[in-house]
Amino acid sequence: MKEGFRQAMAWLHTWAGLTFGWLLFAIFLTGTLSYFKEEITQWTQPEIVPHQVSAAASVDRAQQWLQQNAGDARRWFINLPDERTPELAVSWTNAKGRFERKSLDSLSGVPVQARESSGGEFFYRFHFQLQMPYPWGRWLASLAAMVMFVALVSGIITHKKIFKEFFTFRPRKGQRTWLDGHNAVAVLVLPFHLMITYSSLVIFMTMIMPLSILTTYGKDTQTFFDDLFPAFKSAPAAGTHATLAPLSPMLEVAREKWPNERVGLVTVNNPGDAGASVTLTASGADHIAHQPGTALTFDGVTGELKNETRMSAASLLLAGGLYGLHMGHFAGPFLRWLYFLCGVGGTAMIGTGLVIWLGKRRLKHARSDVIPFELRLVEMLNIASMSGLMLAIVSFFWANRLLPVGLAGRSDWEVKTFFCVWGLALLHALARVFLRDGRTAWREQLTLAALLFCSLPVLDAVTAGSYLRLSLEQGRWVLPGVDLTALATGLFMAWGALRFRGDGKAALAVRPTTPSTGEPLSPDAPGDRVIATRTPIVQEPR
Amino acid sequence: MLLVTLLCYVGFAALSLSMPRHYADLAGGTLSTARGRSLKVLGGCALLVSLIVALGLQSTGFALVHWFAALMGSAVSLVFLMSYWPRQALWLAGIVAFVSPIVAFIQLLA
Repeated sequence: MKEGFRQAMAWLHTWAGLTFGWLLFAIFLTGTLSYFKEEITQWTQPEIVPHQVSAAASVDRAQQWLQQNAGDARRWFINLPDERTPELAVSWTNAKGRFERKSLDSLSGVPVQARESSGGEFFYRFHFQLQMPYPWGRWLASLAAMVMFVALVSGIITHKKIFKEFFTFRPRKGQRTWLDGHNAVAVLVLPFHLMITYSSLVIFMTMIMPLSILTTYGKDTQTFFDDLFPAFKSAPAAGTHATLAPLSPMLEVAREKWPNERVGLVTVNNPGDAGASVTLTASGADHIAHQPGTALTFDGVTGELKNETRMSAASLLLAGGLYGLHMGHFAGPFLRWLYFLCGVGGTAMIGTGLVIWLGKRRLKHARSDVIPFELRLVEMLNIASMSGLMLAIVSFFWANRLLPVGLAGRSDWEVKTFFCVWGLALLHALARVFLRDGRTAWREQLTLAALLFCSLPVLDAVTAGSYLRLSLEQGRWVLPGVDLTALATGLFMAWGALRFRGDGKAALAVRPTTPSTGEPLSPDAPGDRVIATRTPIVQEPR
Repeated sequence: MLLVTLLCYVGFAALSLSMPRHYADLAGGTLSTARGRSLKVLGGCALLVSLIVALGLQSTGFALVHWFAALMGSAVSLVFLMSYWPRQALWLAGIVAFVSPIVAFIQLLA
């Protein structure tokens, strides 16, 4: 009975993992990149240079500029710069209801002529919207998150020797190594995997689990969102003109009220009107838990503090905690890199899982040269979703540097480049897998990716060398950091490409015994056992 | 944070040594039952102490996040070292076990 249950779980793990593996790989990889969203944006818009300016000075400049250029707007947003975002972003809804946005230089207060690029925002948006129209992308991403959760839990149940093989990784043993790697990266980083998957479900809670909100707020869901985002609670305009009070003294009040927090966002409703109000929202970077309800509201004309809200509902705090853990806004450089590496681990877990699925089934056909259609199809999708995605990512960065600055719809062209290259990688994988073999496709795509990643620092130095030099002189490591990470990624791709030399017999090999202990290989998963008994053993050439 | 990570590494190293197979790979020879048990207790204690240290340094939320980070980071590094440089992994564990009281002392003074 118990074995039957484990078999069923193994089946679930195998097929849930296969069908959603390709999509999950892309979600995990772009999500991992999103931990460096602001840094990627800095790289893609090097014109926006960080300055050491106080929040009060920034907000004064923003107010001055908005008063002159968007005095008739219904609402202003001022995003204050911090150590990760150099940009002083102002946005407003104009009288016609259209949303506009400019980034100001935080020192001089004039708009920066930065190249148009979505930067890190693209990867972040793709991570949960999948470049699909609202709400379909979010639904698909939520579904993928649920499948991920199912795959994690069923994987834990399937993995019989979770404690006995806790420290086990046996390198250079073909299929065994892949399985060990899959297990090791899954088990050792399990707290991260569970946190990230479960919290992603909580983030979309309002969408996929509306019941908890409906029971408390009934049909009046607007009240729920008003409680959550006090800055957007709209008050009607009085219709009479009144000068807006200066915003920087309000920041002083906020500093007294929140000694350990910074203001991240300033929202002004009805500026220039007698009914104006100003809401200061705390930056998310000072707490683990995301607290969207923490805000101070001021009268826009007298500058008096009118209202102070702080999120208190326990369930929202829990959800906010999971949200905050998922986003990692609070993480300093060290923890941020750990987040990134854990994300890479999750991506590797999905990738190795896909490789194992194919490897096991390929073993059955090791003697004959004919590989059935469905296995070729899986191999093609594996290649396109892994090395193809790496190619697409690197070409996004290349497009950012090579597309002319004045090109209309420039940031769209970057995104188009990303998807075109991904599509081309798919076609290339299709042609190679069905007309030749998958190893050639892997080798060629990884080689190209290695070349593009490794030469990205050179491209950066040639096309935007002045910014790179300036940031090195000032001891800022974001731009060179992105370049060095690209170089490291390129070297990893090159290592991967080298593994695909030769005709591929070595990769399929399974040794009959483990030399260190001499005990016969004990297959864990039921699927393993099938292979171990049925397939001929191909000796790895020494 | 450094102390927490060091203690996690020592803890996991002791736990891996408490398994006969890893003991043979890392230290050589066979593992007696008594030594296996004491290594297991030692490993468990090191992990527990690391959690207590983390909780003593920061607020609960940050302490837990940092502790899990140290836990995952040290386990991954240990498994990586054990697979390719088993001797060095053991040496490192020994050095770390020696260094961590010194770090603890410095942290107490600071």
